Amino acid sequence: MLLLSQLINGLQLGSIYALVALGYSMVYGIIMLLNFAHGDIIMAGGYIAVLILTAGRNPVLAIILAIIGCVLLSVLIEKVAYKPLRSAPRISLLITAIGVSLFLQNMAQLLFTANARSFPNTVVIPAINFRIGSINISLTALVTIVVTIISMICLTLLVQKTKMGKAMRAVSEDTDAAKLMGINVNSTITFTFATGSTLAGIGSILYCCRYPLVSPTMGSLLGLKAFVAAVLGGIGSIPGAMIGGLAIGFAEVLVSAVGLSEWTDAVVFAILIIVLLVKPTGFLGRSMQEKV
Amino acid sequence: MLKINDINVYYGPIHAIKGVSFEVHPGEIVALIGANGAGKSTILKTISGLLRPKTGSITFMDTDITKMEAHKIVQQGLAHCPEGRRIFLRMTVMENLEMGAYTQKGVDEDIIESVFARFPRLKERRRQVAGTLSGGEQQMLAMGRALMSRPKMIMLDEPSMGLAPLLVEEIFDIIKTLNESGTTVLLVEQNAGMALEIAHRAYVLETGRITLSGTGKELATSDEIKKAYLGG
Repeated sequence: MLLLSQLINGLQLGSIYALVALGYSMVYGIIMLLNFAHGDIIMAGGYIAVLILTAGRNPVLAIILAIIGCVLLSVLIEKVAYKPLRSAPRISLLITAIGVSLFLQNMAQLLFTANARSFPNTVVIPAINFRIGSINISLTALVTIVVTIISMICLTLLVQKTKMGKAMRAVSEDTDAAKLMGINVNSTITFTFATGSTLAGIGSILYCCRYPLVSPTMGSLLGLKAFVAAVLGGIGSIPGAMIGGLAIGFAEVLVSAVGLSEWTDAVVFAILIIVLLVKPTGFLGRSMQEKV
Repeated sequence: MLKINDINVYYGPIHAIKGVSFEVHPGEIVALIGANGAGKSTILKTISGLLRPKTGSITFMDTDITKMEAHKIVQQGLAHCPEGRRIFLRMTVMENLEMGAYTQKGVDEDIIESVFARFPRLKERRRQVAGTLSGGEQQMLAMGRALMSRPKMIMLDEPSMGLAPLLVEEIFDIIKTLNESGTTVLLVEQNAGMALEIAHRAYVLETGRITLSGTGKELATSDEIKKAYLGG
C-alpha cells in the first residue's frame, strides 16, 4: 500500500520533469542547443501566476496568462539571443543560453526581490484527498498526472500528424533538406520553442501546486533535473523525454522512501554521470548512421 | 529558363566558384560534369539558395532569385534533389513525399499517384521507414519527393551515386522520360558517359571554372573529354 502511494507520488513528480524535459529535448533536436534558460522560463511562469492570483484574479486566467507568458518569453529569447547565432559554433550558443538563464534569474531578483513568494496553490487546485483503501491520493497528484497524459497525447498527435509537426521532424533530421522542401526553417524553430514552452508553462503551474514557493532561482534545479531526464531518455527524442522524466521522478521518490531524502539531488546527478559514461545516447537516443 | 550570370562563391577564404555563367532553356536536359571537387554541387546549392554567391546573379523564369531564401525558391517551381539523397530516414516513404509537397496546399492524390506511377516500388513501400530502403529505392524516393512540388525544373545532384549499373540505367531512363513529359532538368554527374548520353547540352567544370561546353554528342566525342572523363 505504501508502495502504491509512493508510485503515485513518483508519477506526479515524474510527470512534471517529463513536461520540462520535453522542452529541452525538442529544442536540442531541432537546433542542437541545450537551452539552459528553459528552467527559468518555468520561474517566469510561476511569477506571472503568483502575481495574478495574489491580485485576486481567477485561477483559470492565471494559468492561461502564465502559459502565454512562457511562450512569448521563450520566443523572444529565441529571436533576440539564439537566432543571430544560427551559424555560429555550438559552444557560443550554449554559453549564450547560460547567459540568458543568469539574466532571467537576476532580472527576477530585481523585479521581485530574492525572497520567495508563496504560491496560493489551493486556489488553483483545492486541497482534496481521496482515500482508496488505506492510501491517500491528493487531487493535485491526480490533476498533474491527467494533465500530463493529455499534454503528451496532444504533443504526439501534433508531431506525428500535423503538417507543422512533420516539418519539425524534417528540420530536426536534416535542416538543409528541409529548406529544399520549401519548409521555412526559422518559423519551424520558433514553433518548436513555442511548443516546448507551452509544456513548460503547464509544468510550471503543476510544479507550483506541489511546491508552493516561487523564487528567482526556482527554475535552475528543476531545469537541471529535467535536463538529466532528457539525457537519460535520449536527448532529441520526444518519447525518451517522457520516459526519462518519469524515471527521474521515480528515482527521487524511491530515494526519499528509503529514508535518504537529502540525497535525492545527488542521486539524480549521479544518474547523469552514469548515463554519460555507460550509454550517452540514453534510452531512446540514436547515433545516426547514413546509408550512402 | 535558368540563367546564371558570372557567380562567385566562397567557402570562407576558399574561392570555390570563379565567375561561372551558363543557361538552361525550357525543355532541356543540361549536364554539368567534372571531377570530384570541381564545384558542381556548390553551384546547385547556390542556385537553390543554400549558399549565397558573393557576386553575380541567378534568374529563374525572369525572377531574380539570387538573394531569395531557399524555401521560397522551391515555391517558384525549382526543385533540388541533393547529393547523397538526403531523404528523411526516420520518416516513412509517404511522409517524405508529403514533405516534398510542403509548398502545396494539402497533398494532392493525383500528384502522389503520378509519382507512384513513375516509381512503382515506392508505392509498395509507402508505409516503410525510409531508412530501411535500399540505395536505389532511396534515390527514387529522393526524386519522387522533389517531384511532389510540381517543379517546372528539377536539379539532380549525382543521381547515380553508389548504385549498381543496372539501377543507374533505370534512373537515367526515368530522367529521360521525366524530361519528355515536360520537366526541364539540370543534371550534375561524375558519370560523364551516362550524363552526356541523355543531355542536350553540357558544361564541363574544372576547379570552379567552366572550361568546355557543347551539345551532349559533341562533348561525348571530344578527345579531351574522352581522355579526362570517359577513360580513354
